[in-house]
Formats: sequence, C-alpha cells, structure tokens
Amino acid sequence: MKKYLSLIALILTISLSSFSNSAFAVTSIRAEVKGMVCAFCAKGISKKLNALSQSKEVFVDLKNRVVAVELKDQQTLTLDNFNKIIQDAGYDVAKAEFVEKSVAEIKAELTVAETKK
Amino acid sequence: MSKNTSLGAALMLFALETNAGPMGFKDSWMIMGDFSPNWREAFINYALTPLDALGVSATYMRSDDETKTRQLGEITYTRLLKRWNMPDAQANLWFAGGVGIINGDDFDGAKAMVTPGIQFDYETRRIYFAVTERLYRAKDLNHDYSSGRAGFSFYETSFEETQPWFILEARRMNGLSDKTEITPMLRLINQNYFIEAGVNNSSQFRFNFMYIF
Repeated sequence: MKKYLSLIALILTISLSSFSNSAFAVTSIRAEVKGMVCAFCAKGISKKLNALSQSKEVFVDLKNRVVAVELKDQQTLTLDNFNKIIQDAGYDVAKAEFVEKSVAEIKAELTVAETKK
Repeated sequence: MSKNTSLGAALMLFALETNAGPMGFKDSWMIMGDFSPNWREAFINYALTPLDALGVSATYMRSDDETKTRQLGEITYTRLLKRWNMPDAQANLWFAGGVGIINGDDFDGAKAMVTPGIQFDYETRRIYFAVTERLYRAKDLNHDYSSGRAGFSFYETSFEETQPWFILEARRMNGLSDKTEITPMLRLINQNYFIEAGVNNSSQFRFNFMYIF
C-alpha cells in the first residue's frame, strides 16, 4: 500500500510540475519577414505589435529579417492575426511560429549566430 | 540663371514626396517638410488602407530673382500599385497624384492643376534606386517632371540605430528649365524620422524631412 501511495505521489508531482511549466512558460511568436530593409519603413510593424494588449515586448531585427513578439502571461495571439499585422504594415511573412522563448532569449540566439558567422 | 530656370528648379522639388516613400503604414499619418530658398512645402497624408492614402499639401515657390512666385494647394492621392517583398530587398510601384489650384504672379487668376505620376523604387539595406515620372498640367502650363535617385548606405545598422546614406539625385522639369538639377545629399534614417540635406548644383541648400505617426 505504501508503495502504491509513493507511486501516486510521484505521478502527481510530475504532473503538477509539467502543468506548472506549461502554464508559466514564456511564449513568443518568432517570424521571418520579407522586404524589411529600412527602420523608418518598418516602424509600422513595431508600433502595431506594441499596441497589442497581449504584447509584452517586441523585437525587430533588420539584418536577420526577424520579428518577434513576446506575449504576456495567459495571453494569446493567433498566427493569422500576427500575419495580418505584418501585411498591413506592408511586408510578407515567410515563416512564423510559436516558440517557448522570451524576446531576450531570441535576441541572444541571434547574437550568438552572428558572432559565429 | 534665368527666371524660368530658377522656377523650374524650384518646381522640380514639388514632387519630392514621390521620391522618399509617399505614404506610411495603414492608419498612419505622414508629415513631410521640404525647405530651400525657393521652396517651402508642408504635406500630410493619412493611410486609409495598406495601399491607399489621402492628403493635402501647401507649397510656396519662388524664382531666384524673386520676381516670380507661385502657390499651390492640392488634395493628393497615393496608391501602392505593386510591392515586391524579397528576402533582402523591396521594390515598389506607386501612383501619386493630386488635384489643386495654382496661383502665380506671372499669369492672371487661379488655375486648376492635376499632377498624376508614377514611381518605381528598389531598396536593400545597402543600396537605393528610384525613378519618377510625373505630369504637372494646368491650362497653358506643362511642367512634366522626371527624376532619378541612387545611393548607398555607409554601413548596416540595427532597427534602433540611425543609418546614414549618400543619395545622388538628378531631375528635370519640362517647360521651365533646360537644366538638370543634381543634388548630392546625406540621408539619415531612423525608425522615427527620415531627413535629407544637401546642396544642389545651383549652390542652393536643401533640407527635407518625413515623420510618421
């Protein structure tokens, strides 16, 4: 009996732990955007994304053609809505995906990739 | 320099907005200013859609000897006809035109003027190229205009940094000037502003700016 209780406790702990991780994980949308060659022209992207209530932080990288928006906890944004914002700003999304990373982590990754080139 | 040449050089500046990106993103306002001894212009438009913008402009023009002046008030319409978004470049085909009233001290009364034009531009983070053709037509007035611009950035910058460019512009105005105006300019681009300054081959200082909000 004691053995079974220990097993149940372990399963519960693991379950709660994974629930906790998914509930509080940082979620961002990371996209590759085509045509983004000028900061003045691309301002519309950052302005529109920053205006979203779901948006915690926005990052635009001209050289790597990357746009990323970090979402606030418990907030969601569909890829369709994200793509429409980019298109209304005058650009095309080549690829967009949800990533479990903060904007700071995405920036760091790009910096590391740059230094390796 | 003749009066007509001076006035022609001034009128060429009239189409500046088509050379520097004639509209912003959807729901944005664009303000533009263009200042030189013979030219003072204020222009504003609003992007109703990602492709269309409506605006107004007011322009004062003066010949070098200050004997001729003209004032033009105009309602403008800008349309992005086609955009090509490439991984590291962007190209655009624009329509930009207006309808307004022009007054001058070298003719009587006010005249209705129409200014339809097209522009093609191509830009990467390091090079820029644009050609513009625009008609300036009123009764007994024909100031059709052509321009070409090319330039390069000194280095790449991040989104938050200011990027300096060298731009060389050549342009002509039919019916008012036989001279081709050549203007080398320093352009500074930031996410919040766009400014250009230079001196043309008539030794006239030029300063242009744009702001989007």
